[in-house]
Amino acid sequence: MDQSEVMERVVKILTPWVKDEAALANVSMETNILEDLKVNSARLVDVVIAFEDDFDIEIADEDVDQVNTVGDAVNLISSKL
Amino acid sequence: MAEDGEPVADGRVAGAGRPAAAVSPRMARRHAIQRAVSIVMGPVWVTVTVVGMYFGYRYRIADVARVRREYRRLRAESDAPLLVCANHLTLVDSFLIAWALGSAGYWLWHPDELPWNTPERTNFGRTWLHRALLFVAKCVPITRGGAREDVGDVLERVKYLLSRGETALIFPEAGRSRTGRVQEDSAAWGVGRIVGAVPGCRVLCVYMRGRAQATWSDFPAKGDTMDVSLACIEPKSDAKGLRRSRDLSQQIIRQLVRMEEAYFDAR
Repeated sequence: MDQSEVMERVVKILTPWVKDEAALANVSMETNILEDLKVNSARLVDVVIAFEDDFDIEIADEDVDQVNTVGDAVNLISSKL
Repeated sequence: MAEDGEPVADGRVAGAGRPAAAVSPRMARRHAIQRAVSIVMGPVWVTVTVVGMYFGYRYRIADVARVRREYRRLRAESDAPLLVCANHLTLVDSFLIAWALGSAGYWLWHPDELPWNTPERTNFGRTWLHRALLFVAKCVPITRGGAREDVGDVLERVKYLLSRGETALIFPEAGRSRTGRVQEDSAAWGVGRIVGAVPGCRVLCVYMRGRAQATWSDFPAKGDTMDVSLACIEPKSDAKGLRRSRDLSQQIIRQLVRMEEAYFDAR
């Protein structure tokens, strides 16, 4: 699976948690999940668990500390596929 | 000798009887310095805080002797690490909770039981003076929703101090409740991550509410009396990874919801 496919699925998974839908229209690898998309930080764990389910991977608690941007999520997921 | 960035097992608080969690030497040093400063300055900041709450704001804790007795009983039950988790309605909840659990004299005599706090940096850490006061008052500021690495560092620090036999206070709703009630869907997963990583960690759930407190605010009303209830739980989960952390967090917040229901049922 190439990065653009991962990116597409990541954005699709993020969509229900995004509060700023305008930011979603211009999403890029540099888009910050909490600051730009306004995803509630308390819900970040639900987002990452959704990544686990969708991509059939396991993500450690500590790995979540590396996820700030959409690109961070894409890279983390790609490294586990 | 370990270099900065390498894990190291630091010492332990006398009598804690358990190995400390591994953290970087820099974090261990910072913690040791802050702890020492806080203890040395304790007679000043603890006393000033209590005097300010009692005489300045005229706050009172309802049936304070019972609450403190209950806290000491729960504390004496086990020497396992203890994380205090509470509902959150005002900016000074952490001070009021500490005061409810023990007198100024008790905290000066048992400084490692006085909980560390993780206040929101944007509320408290704006100026140099504020940051200095936070440092002295056992605070590890956190930027909620900030860079994940910074949040992770704070969680590591809390795990470390708990494993040393010290105590921390965390608000699992990750902010003051905007509805004035415990928000079950706001359970911060970091709390479960801490509990899951510290073997045998017990959680002292504290429900505190001023009688004049209708919803959230910066401060309780002057002269308000706080009702306080305590319950000690040991969250367990068979789940793994992130699901485990989320499950543990939810158990804690559900306990606070039950305590809130009991509070309103009794009114």
